[in-house]
Amino acid sequence: MKILVEGNAQNKKLLSATDGLILSLQDYSVQSSKTYTLSEIKEIVKNNPSLEIFVNLNKNFFNPEIENLKETLLELEKLNLKGIFFYDLAVLELKKELNLKTDLVWNQTYMVNNYKTCDYYYGKGVKYAAISKEITLEEIKEIITKSKITSIVETFSIPSVAFSKRSLLTNYYKDLNKEPEKELIITEKATSTDYLVEEDDLGTNFYLNSITNASTIIKELYKVNCPYIVLREYGIAEELFIDILSDTKKYIEGNCQDEKYTEKYKSLGEFTNFFFKKTIYKVKKND
Amino acid sequence: MTKVELLSPAGDLERLKITLLYGADAVYIGGQSYSLRANATNFSLEEIKEGCTFAHNLNKKVYLTLNIVFHNEDMQDVESYIDKVVACGIDAFIVSDPFIISYIKNKHKNVEVHLSTQNSTSNYKAVEYFKNEGVDRVVLAREVGKTGMQEIIEKTGMDIEVFIHGAMCTCYSGRCALSNYVTNRDANRGGCAQVCRFAFKTTEEKDFTMATKDLNMAEYIKDLIEIGVKSLKVEGRMRSLYYLATVIGTYREIIDRYYTNTLTEDIMQKLEYRLSRVANREVSTQFFLKEADYTDQYYSGRQELSNQDYLGLITGYDEENNCIILVERNYFKPGDKTEIFTPSGEVYDYVIDKIYDENMQELELARHPEQVLKLKFPHKLEKYSMIRLIVKEN
Repeated sequence: MKILVEGNAQNKKLLSATDGLILSLQDYSVQSSKTYTLSEIKEIVKNNPSLEIFVNLNKNFFNPEIENLKETLLELEKLNLKGIFFYDLAVLELKKELNLKTDLVWNQTYMVNNYKTCDYYYGKGVKYAAISKEITLEEIKEIITKSKITSIVETFSIPSVAFSKRSLLTNYYKDLNKEPEKELIITEKATSTDYLVEEDDLGTNFYLNSITNASTIIKELYKVNCPYIVLREYGIAEELFIDILSDTKKYIEGNCQDEKYTEKYKSLGEFTNFFFKKTIYKVKKND
Repeated sequence: MTKVELLSPAGDLERLKITLLYGADAVYIGGQSYSLRANATNFSLEEIKEGCTFAHNLNKKVYLTLNIVFHNEDMQDVESYIDKVVACGIDAFIVSDPFIISYIKNKHKNVEVHLSTQNSTSNYKAVEYFKNEGVDRVVLAREVGKTGMQEIIEKTGMDIEVFIHGAMCTCYSGRCALSNYVTNRDANRGGCAQVCRFAFKTTEEKDFTMATKDLNMAEYIKDLIEIGVKSLKVEGRMRSLYYLATVIGTYREIIDRYYTNTLTEDIMQKLEYRLSRVANREVSTQFFLKEADYTDQYYSGRQELSNQDYLGLITGYDEENNCIILVERNYFKPGDKTEIFTPSGEVYDYVIDKIYDENMQELELARHPEQVLKLKFPHKLEKYSMIRLIVKEN
């Protein structure tokens, strides 16, 4: 089971502890706080030949962006990347049209929820799927074991919750008659849960302001031969993130036998996202 | 010339019939599984069949939404469910999952597949992808503006459907799990709790809100027809009969008057006013002419208004006493100025005189919603005619 990290690709400790990187391309990716220009990506690829490098192009594209997207895909094709994360089907259509060899990662955030659709994409030449983090561990394991696609599972992160094209912070601060901030913590009143709202030129991102403690599921994923797990640095203090990354790496290398690992990360809290919690959708009258 | 399609929501069989009678060319409905309004009444297979027969007798169509994001367990029976719905006579499925698209296109070649807005399709290259997959129509992302729509139509030749009226999501459709995280209700499986209409605390003096105003494209129907949009869709499978009758009836008139070149400014103003009387939020055109901005959303927790214009649904005629029979919806009294409107577009000015109960006992006023009442009227009216208060425009 390999580790992919989305985080600060300049951090040497991070680079030494991961098997690969997910680099979000500036202006082409959303729900990623750290982005890189194409030339920075080229540099990182050149300097880290032993790492598996994936590039993230997960925005929704609009007509005027298609020609640039085409050129960008052709540039990325030269880098021998391991794969390209995509949300918009324009990327898959262009891969066909341009006969690109770089593999794709189906990354439709909240939609990658079943093995049959994963197999549909596999049949269309998509090698990987970034599985939704809003489904249970059992569902994730079923996808890993039943689908032909190579699964990528997000583990430690602060989860991205939603994305809007609107400039919601600009609007909010305009209403307050204040200079806009680019980040804001908002609190849901009934549960007192904090969310981090972040705005950039492409829109507004929402994150849950809690770290997913994935320490208890790493072994489960390992047992079903999960090919890749993802750790996302955003929202996690750098030192803590490096600790989690290094310890998780060692834990996997030891075949997930060291119980001290799970014991140690109890301190990270009890939030395990939807791994052990099913969502509901048929609501009873008093829900 | 083929007229643009007016597509209405219908949360149940009665709404399906009413919206078709009030002028919709097609309706979209949800079955009891796999639809993004899991908490609407939704249609059993028998009701789907009855709805299709009713629509087809009027030379109209019925589409079924099958646009949840499928989990492993949802996949167990979906194929046999699709087969059963096809046997009921459905004209098209509205789908977001490409596996489901491929199943329908392979197994049921005569049934159309429309790509749901849940997929947030926003460019011509993505539309080309789905065209190659056999999709017959794409419901574009609500973030696509006029020039984007036009270019997609010109470059792909795909049939394009767009929303023209109703509530909007704050985030990209399909790209929002706020409901999952805040309420544990799965937004993409039909349980959306509309968290984007909540107010959140911050350290600033005012709550953070992000709720959007509703969409109203009445003024731009002409533009949409002229750029080649094939279907104009109204949102709201959980809306009331009165709302649907008014909104669909009004857009029917706008569309018909466009084609007969009789849509004057005065008439348009009257029709827009009629729409405003059933609106429960402020409206805007959102992304159609510009990026949605400060003016397209709310900055306070309370956004919904209600009005009591709708007085009753006319259900029959008492020949012996020359009375229309109606089921009361809101308070009214003798002397109130009202209008009675019918599915075929007739409007009668009517001043309330004497009000009777179903036994012809005279009442002082009507104050019990759901009570059966009678009002003198010289002739029978079409079923599903309605009576509303006239509120003059200021």
